Amino acid sequence: MKRTLKLLALVAAFVMVAAACGDTSSDTTTAATDAPPATDAAPFAGLSVAAPDCDYGGSISKIEATGEYEVTFTMCTPVPAFPAIAAFTPFGIQPEEHLAATGGAPLDNPIGTGPWVLDTWQRGDSITFSRFDDYWGEAADYSTLVFRWATEGAQRLLELQSGNVDQITNLSPDDFGTVQGDGDLTFIPVANPNTLYLAMVDQIDPFGDAPGEMTEFADVNVRQAIAMGIDRQRIVDNFYPEGSEVASHFTPCSIDLACGGDAWYDFDAAAAKALLADAGYPDGFETTIFYRDVFRGYLPEPGLVAVEFQTQLEENLGISADVVVMESGEFIDESTNGRLDGLYLLGWGADYPHVTNFLDFHFGKTNPQYGNPHPEIYELLDEGKTIADAATAAPIYEAANNAIRDLVPMVPIAHGASASATLAGVGNSHFRPFGAPLFHRSTPAEGDTFVFLQNAEPISLYCTDETDGESLAPCQQVVEPLLGYAIDSGNVEPRLATACTGNDDASVWTCSLREGVTFHDGSTFDANDVVASWSAGIDAADPLHVGNTGAFEYYSYLWGNLINAPE
Amino acid sequence: MSVKHDPLDPIEQNSQFLLSKPTSLWKGAFGRLRRRRTGQVGMVIIGGLLIMALFAPLIAPFEPNEVLIGKEEIKRREAPCYDALDFIGMWRCPTEDAPQHLLGVDGNVRDEFSRVVFGSRVSLAVGITVVVIAVTIGAMLGSIAGFWAGWADNIIMRIMDVILGFPSFLLAIAIVAVLGPGIRNAMLGVVIVSIPAYARVMRAGVLSIKQLDYVSASRSLGASPLRILWTRVMPNALTPLVVLATLGLATAILDVAGLSFLGLGAQPPSAEWGTMLASERNQIFSAPHLVFFPGLMIMLTVLGFNLLGDGLRDALDPSLQD
Amino acid sequence: MLQFIGRRLLFAIPVLIGILVVTFFLARAIPGDPCKSILGEKATAEACERFAENKGLNDPLPIQFGIYMSDMVQGDFGNSIRFSRPVSQMLIERMPMTIELGMTALIIALLIGIPLGILAAMKHNTPTDVGTMIVANVGVSMPVFWLGLLLAYVFALLLQGTFLELPPSGRVTAGLISVPFYEAWGWTINEEGFFGNILEFISNHFIFNSLITGDFEIFWDTIRHLILPAVALATIPMAVIARITRSSLLDTLGRDYVRTARAKGAPERRVIARHAMSNAMLPVVTVIGLQMGVVFAGAVLTESVFGLAGVGTALVEAITSRDFPVIQAITVVAAAGYVVINMLVDISYAYLDPRIRLE
Repeated sequence: MKRTLKLLALVAAFVMVAAACGDTSSDTTTAATDAPPATDAAPFAGLSVAAPDCDYGGSISKIEATGEYEVTFTMCTPVPAFPAIAAFTPFGIQPEEHLAATGGAPLDNPIGTGPWVLDTWQRGDSITFSRFDDYWGEAADYSTLVFRWATEGAQRLLELQSGNVDQITNLSPDDFGTVQGDGDLTFIPVANPNTLYLAMVDQIDPFGDAPGEMTEFADVNVRQAIAMGIDRQRIVDNFYPEGSEVASHFTPCSIDLACGGDAWYDFDAAAAKALLADAGYPDGFETTIFYRDVFRGYLPEPGLVAVEFQTQLEENLGISADVVVMESGEFIDESTNGRLDGLYLLGWGADYPHVTNFLDFHFGKTNPQYGNPHPEIYELLDEGKTIADAATAAPIYEAANNAIRDLVPMVPIAHGASASATLAGVGNSHFRPFGAPLFHRSTPAEGDTFVFLQNAEPISLYCTDETDGESLAPCQQVVEPLLGYAIDSGNVEPRLATACTGNDDASVWTCSLREGVTFHDGSTFDANDVVASWSAGIDAADPLHVGNTGAFEYYSYLWGNLINAPE
Repeated sequence: MSVKHDPLDPIEQNSQFLLSKPTSLWKGAFGRLRRRRTGQVGMVIIGGLLIMALFAPLIAPFEPNEVLIGKEEIKRREAPCYDALDFIGMWRCPTEDAPQHLLGVDGNVRDEFSRVVFGSRVSLAVGITVVVIAVTIGAMLGSIAGFWAGWADNIIMRIMDVILGFPSFLLAIAIVAVLGPGIRNAMLGVVIVSIPAYARVMRAGVLSIKQLDYVSASRSLGASPLRILWTRVMPNALTPLVVLATLGLATAILDVAGLSFLGLGAQPPSAEWGTMLASERNQIFSAPHLVFFPGLMIMLTVLGFNLLGDGLRDALDPSLQD
Repeated sequence: MLQFIGRRLLFAIPVLIGILVVTFFLARAIPGDPCKSILGEKATAEACERFAENKGLNDPLPIQFGIYMSDMVQGDFGNSIRFSRPVSQMLIERMPMTIELGMTALIIALLIGIPLGILAAMKHNTPTDVGTMIVANVGVSMPVFWLGLLLAYVFALLLQGTFLELPPSGRVTAGLISVPFYEAWGWTINEEGFFGNILEFISNHFIFNSLITGDFEIFWDTIRHLILPAVALATIPMAVIARITRSSLLDTLGRDYVRTARAKGAPERRVIARHAMSNAMLPVVTVIGLQMGVVFAGAVLTESVFGLAGVGTALVEAITSRDFPVIQAITVVAAAGYVVINMLVDISYAYLDPRIRLE
């Protein structure tokens, strides 16, 4: 197995080199107008990476440096959400040479174009960055940025109150009031769209080799009874911080096209009881509520909320449920395969601001997390995702939302508010809805060092192959993608590309790159760095496709699949 | 291998008084226990806990898992408030007609006092179950190893050595990680790591008794090993086992609470003190009462069994009287 | 004596092998997929398949076991699944924290426990004795995690702003960087090499490193951060040591030779220091050895309470993310350390009491 892989990689690498060489001839370059100092007169040799065909399941067909400062992305299908996705941290750009020099795994020595240069990573304790004086944008007003971490919310708040740190993340819901009432601190709401839902499985492991039994939830009346029988307002009032809201639709309304169609059912215990009786369970039944004990913006206190669901099911519907906490990885594995017999609490935080990021993942054709997928929903979603024009797509998403409401594969519960806090003296304190703060635009409360306290230590600083927020936050300070998210909204702004424009059906995207940008190692940024960085992530046959786990999760998940993915 | 008589080895210490006759040991032991101050305090604490556990429904004003949302006008994690104790700052009520909760309410708006009271049932049950199982298995393995010296002895005692080779709490963590979190598995983990101590004491006891005249006499008279074990060894070995088990109760309760604190033991909504403490540990600065009282109860329970165990040892072993 | 040590060493080998075997199968028996634990909820089936292949998780168990045993014997702990770094490197970074914490706790326990025990024995049956033993009994019964939280509450929150304020978490204040002594002294070493690893391991003991490089800011800062966790961790061993010192000293004080010394009119202080203490120390040494294991296990809880990045927290994190090599390495190192300590205790015991060697 391993040997064939290596062989494949070799062949693919050879093909790539050949392709890259071939491209030079066809490259009618326009770089003559603005050529850099004429140290080498050779014409720009643009790299490219391409899928053998479009049957591999992914949406990227070809990425090509069509000029020294221009990269063209050719897609297999229309991808209207391209800019929103391409602005995500894992698609950051590092120098082609650096990727090669580190064997495709710059895990603790990333080199980027960002406002901060990695100085030292004292394992277990802190990461120190120093200002990048040659930053293409406006460099920071102060010299040093430090990342630290503490798991407990109480500890983070105390460190902030003691003035040891300038900013903390993931404020505990109970501390919202404390921070708001403290004149020495600034309360910063974080507007990352998210949803908590209570899922039900109608058939155990429907896609397994031996599909399991149908459950009580196979009856749509039971699912609707649960939908009406939970007092969601009571949960939000008692367990969520201020600023959270009861979910009217699965996707939070701050996202375009999210809230078409009817709002969710109102709480009505009597009607719910009647539905349950119709389904043959006048006295309820026994089931289980599964959850994992992991703090998220959509579920600040998992154990407490699970117990609250247990209480409500018993009181409102006569359903008696056990509460079972599972180890996080096991829980995700079991729940996403539809193997949990009962109800479970899971949620979703937006990766990028687009309705497809919520609906397509959760209600797609291949998703067994609620048992059998519903064609009434996924057929609409498949149609909607290829339409670039919002007005044309709107009625489709309206219909999809209504279908979700009628079929109730899950009950959307709440959109949780989360918050960060800074010392009052911090200048331009903020927390972006998508991504970590842009620290170079803030200033520390005093002195020349800004200390940021997050939940946990990063896993590595090569975010092309990382997924957790604790790694992505420091990565964003060092490495930049082509585009980025705005400081106060989900809008996409230029970063290393001055613009990315799509053709009429959004199937070809052309990005014009910023000129005169230097990396932290002094090398100059050009289109080949973009192709090399993307290729290392998306092309499984690229010799530099190494990374940390080797999974390049966000590449395969956000673009459908990896190119040349091994069978 | 001969039994070494080392007066300073704690295990040896316990097997030493195996040599005296059982009846004379127990006679008057209770009296001595009652006279010793450590024994007195231990008995009072454990007695109080037993009463609390037995009459929990009468003492506690609420069910342990009763959620008070919608029933009372009270915020979650409200601090203790109790008119009769108003003169102590901590119990002052925010308003005159505020609902009274002796130990406040927790994150799910449940009465903390009721949960603490019902928690005594969990902790006592956990401690006693763990120790009874561990003593039974340990005593069985120990007597087998002691009686049938040779390969059985070797295998059993080498396994015990491997278990003792790990720091015990660490091994318990690893075992629970394998079996999955939960109160039963946490108890099983603690059982496994505490077996070797009992096995060793039992084996040492059996070895020393085997050589005594009256035992070899009954052997030569044709009594079966099982019968000798039951009639001669058991009554004698019981004494050190009881002492060790009482002290073991303290360790077992502490270890299970520690596992619960790491999220490996009892799961919510169970009113187990370690779990109650762990689920509110993040609130130590904003709602310290939710951390303080469950921890205090763990401490008191462990203290009670420790004192009782010490007292028992002193009372049962007249040679240690000072 | 040598023969005794040799016998003890031989005896330790089957135990160590047993520990290796048990650890491997314990780690593999932990349910849950390392892929989902590490890649997160958005991991696709294809991504997990690639992940398992890369990490050698698809090999049959006996082959994994063979690789593991041969690596372990060569002192190679493999790579962390989660961090793609050598586990030995993680141990180099994290063990010094735990060692510092454990040693500080043990020193506190000894410095307070032994004098307390002596005091109680000298003032036998007085209120001092009773008071000391109440403290000891309460100390033995203290849940470490509870005491840790209370200490943090008192010293970080209630005493905030006073000179007694102590930090509730972390190892050093943010922004302070401990410069390894070899860098401070301008040595050029190969950090990847064995010698470099040893130097790095030594320099990660911040207290020692800052002392020899004369960086007193880091020195005090590290000590300030260590006080609360070390005190919490020291409580149980301190109480145990106080109790054993007392009872052992009482025992020797009743012996003939001590009575003789007293009868000859030697001052009480001298009697205790010269005659009673040396003999009373025997069981204390045993207990100190046993308490090392307790301290290490307690470190898991203490590090968790105080957010310290030692091997204890590394173990708990590795269990939740199913990072087998890390679980194995830490468990094996801890168990091996424990076996070695017990062996040293036995040997020192034999040294102090020659009768034992004759067994």
